[in-house]
Amino acid sequence: MSGRKRVVLAGGMAVAMTLLAGCLSSNDNGGGGGGAGGTGSFVDGGSADNDKKVTMLGTFGGDEEKNFLAALAPFEKSSGIDIQYVADRDFATTIKQKVNSGDAPDIGLFAQPGGLMEFAADNKVQALDSILDVNALNSSLVPGLLDSAKYNGKVYAAPMKLAGKSLVWYPKKAYTAGGYSTAPATMTELQGVADKIKSSGTAPWCMGWESAQDTGWVGTDWIEQYVLGMFGPEVYDQWTSHKIPFNDPRIIQAFDEFAKIAKGDGYVLGGPKGVLSTPFGEAMLPAFAKPPQCFLERQGNFVTSFLPKNIQANLAEEVGVFAFPKFDNGFEGTAMVGAADMAALFNGNDPDAQAVMKFLASADFGKEWAKAGGWLSPHKTFDISLYPDETTKQVADIVSKAGVFRFDGSDLMPKAVGSGTFWSELIKWENGQSSKETADNIEASWPKS
Amino acid sequence: MTTQTVTPPQRAAPDESYAALRARPRMIIIGLVGMAVVVWALANLFLAFGYYPERFGNKIVIALLAIVAGVAGAALLFWFLNMFVEGLPERLTQGVIPYAFLIPGFLFVALMLIYPTFQSINYSFANSDSTAYVGLQNYRTIFGDSEFWNAIINNILWLIIVPAVVVAFGVVVAVLSDKLSANGEKFAKSLIFVPMAISAVSASAIWLLVYAYNNPGQAQTGLLNAIWVGLGGEPQAWLQIETAKLNSILLMVILIWLQAGFAMVLLSSAIKGVPEDTLEAARIDGASEWQIFWRVVIPQIMGTIITVFVTVFITVLKVFDIVYVTTNGAYNTNVIANLFFNKLFGASEAGQASAIVVVLLLAVIPLIWFQIRHFRNEETNR
Repeated sequence: MSGRKRVVLAGGMAVAMTLLAGCLSSNDNGGGGGGAGGTGSFVDGGSADNDKKVTMLGTFGGDEEKNFLAALAPFEKSSGIDIQYVADRDFATTIKQKVNSGDAPDIGLFAQPGGLMEFAADNKVQALDSILDVNALNSSLVPGLLDSAKYNGKVYAAPMKLAGKSLVWYPKKAYTAGGYSTAPATMTELQGVADKIKSSGTAPWCMGWESAQDTGWVGTDWIEQYVLGMFGPEVYDQWTSHKIPFNDPRIIQAFDEFAKIAKGDGYVLGGPKGVLSTPFGEAMLPAFAKPPQCFLERQGNFVTSFLPKNIQANLAEEVGVFAFPKFDNGFEGTAMVGAADMAALFNGNDPDAQAVMKFLASADFGKEWAKAGGWLSPHKTFDISLYPDETTKQVADIVSKAGVFRFDGSDLMPKAVGSGTFWSELIKWENGQSSKETADNIEASWPKS
Repeated sequence: MTTQTVTPPQRAAPDESYAALRARPRMIIIGLVGMAVVVWALANLFLAFGYYPERFGNKIVIALLAIVAGVAGAALLFWFLNMFVEGLPERLTQGVIPYAFLIPGFLFVALMLIYPTFQSINYSFANSDSTAYVGLQNYRTIFGDSEFWNAIINNILWLIIVPAVVVAFGVVVAVLSDKLSANGEKFAKSLIFVPMAISAVSASAIWLLVYAYNNPGQAQTGLLNAIWVGLGGEPQAWLQIETAKLNSILLMVILIWLQAGFAMVLLSSAIKGVPEDTLEAARIDGASEWQIFWRVVIPQIMGTIITVFVTVFITVLKVFDIVYVTTNGAYNTNVIANLFFNKLFGASEAGQASAIVVVLLLAVIPLIWFQIRHFRNEETNR
């Protein structure tokens, strides 16, 4: 390299650096759809008002979209409002772009509370207190569910679809033949069942954490179950919002409790090696071997779709389910961890959009969807007889009787933890790392700022 | 177009030197305006594709229009550019023309390569969503993270083992296949070359099946475990075994399997290029085959060996897909590129991710410099 070339190169670099210095992406949201000021005012985003047309953006695609539209059809007919629904798999990103560029839909269907809370903080979404009877809604919904939609005491979204994960599944025929309790009321009782199964020479629990790049999430669900069940919703909320550190002694205690199953000798099929290598969708298959190699599986209501065809055909006869029991000295009642889809209003002063919101928030919504399957109402008052099969009815019954509902905690934590270290450290934990070290490491990785 | 650029020697005319100095302002102006119009029209057209796709009917129409407009637009742009340059005084034209035609290419490289490089360096001093500077905080964080050092150690292991094994394997196969019959050689080489055609992701999927683990008592669907259990062993979760870095080594096998064909092809042609008379001379002097191989063949193919080694070395430095697909860095198998990916897309920590990638960049620079120098020496030796 000649001297002159070097000078030119250095000069070019200097120019590039000066051009870039101070060159960061701006976080300015701009004016957006006209923010509302004080209480009682309306957020005026979305499409034109009073035109009998309501635009809606959500994640439901494919069969779900079909069923969702079917559930809307009778309302559209009776009210004369045309609901224009657009499905977007990448909803979380799309809604941010649209709202911040003043192109919000009238109604958005959120699968995660995180993005919704950001809009609430920026006054981009309508508070529903003035539009819906929030107290009546709260008393008709599964307890605790509406808390997830609250920001500074005001409700910003109405739940319209529910999924529960605090369910324990078992192979009905073999399980009842063994004479095990089909409705253990406490964790101690369930532990008794597990001990009994273990003494018969079979591992009581089926468990599979393998999920390609997402390996570990099944374990985080378990930990969330233990934290909510052992210490109740207040500690759970403090934990997920980092008001208490991740390595709080109570959280470590939850890890240690769970270790009795996940790392306990002979309590889980295949031991830690098997747990980490088994895909979550295949975890329950050994329960239907003859004789079963394991009996109990804690998993969400979607688990039935992973079962073999012949089992699915006779679901009610083949598969049993009960609520994950409460802990002694823990939260009284069923602690339900799960997820919900929630409708939020961006066009606050459009009477048509308000009418649609009222419908989505009512216990009448979803009758058609319930019959099609794959949908649970968030309302306790929903008519359970509308669900298509016995198993779904049972699940709906358990979920509607839940003592408290909380969102999947790893979805509430920052991504660096919720889909990062919580998973990766839990894999190490299952592989032998101590509970204390695991919690310490996750706490250290919590984003500072 | 370019034929015009080589101006035929002008006949001796009284105003020859004058003509060479005179600019042609009309051509300059038409050229400049033409370029501006083409760029403006193209930009608008492509923006319209993005903002109003419905006006064009369907996607195929857009695709065809994009191809036609893109190619024709590029041609027009160069035509106007050429006109502009030819409008300059003759002496200037001769000097400027090569650069004029290179500049669009350079701009593209700058846009796609150099700008992102500096932007990454810039972002490595900023926070997780690149909205405020945090000084050296990101570097402090990653250097204090045991996962980062783990990834560095693994990367170093990959770098020590994979290129060396690939080259050694390539030489051995090249030499041995050289001794086969013509058909046998073809067959052996194609067999080893086939994995080259498989993407790293597919290869990882294939090898995941080889390393698969099922609980004891169930049928072992993984090839390795099937053999292992067949020999009387207990089934092993191979990719979870951190002892002696066995899991990392098993992942390296995938890359070696992929790269061996590449090494073999280059080395084989190099070996065939070794002049027969040098071998003959060595034999007459009484050298053994072993001596001939080490003292005569190897020195003559050293250039190719280094080329292959450095190329594989750089591939290994960037290794990502294999680790991402198989373990995603769990069980202490992480490497820098995968760590970067997880920081950026899994954890949304753009600052730390940029810092990691800057460290990787710094590590690659000396190698690239070495490779360029090596190529240059090869060229001059030719």
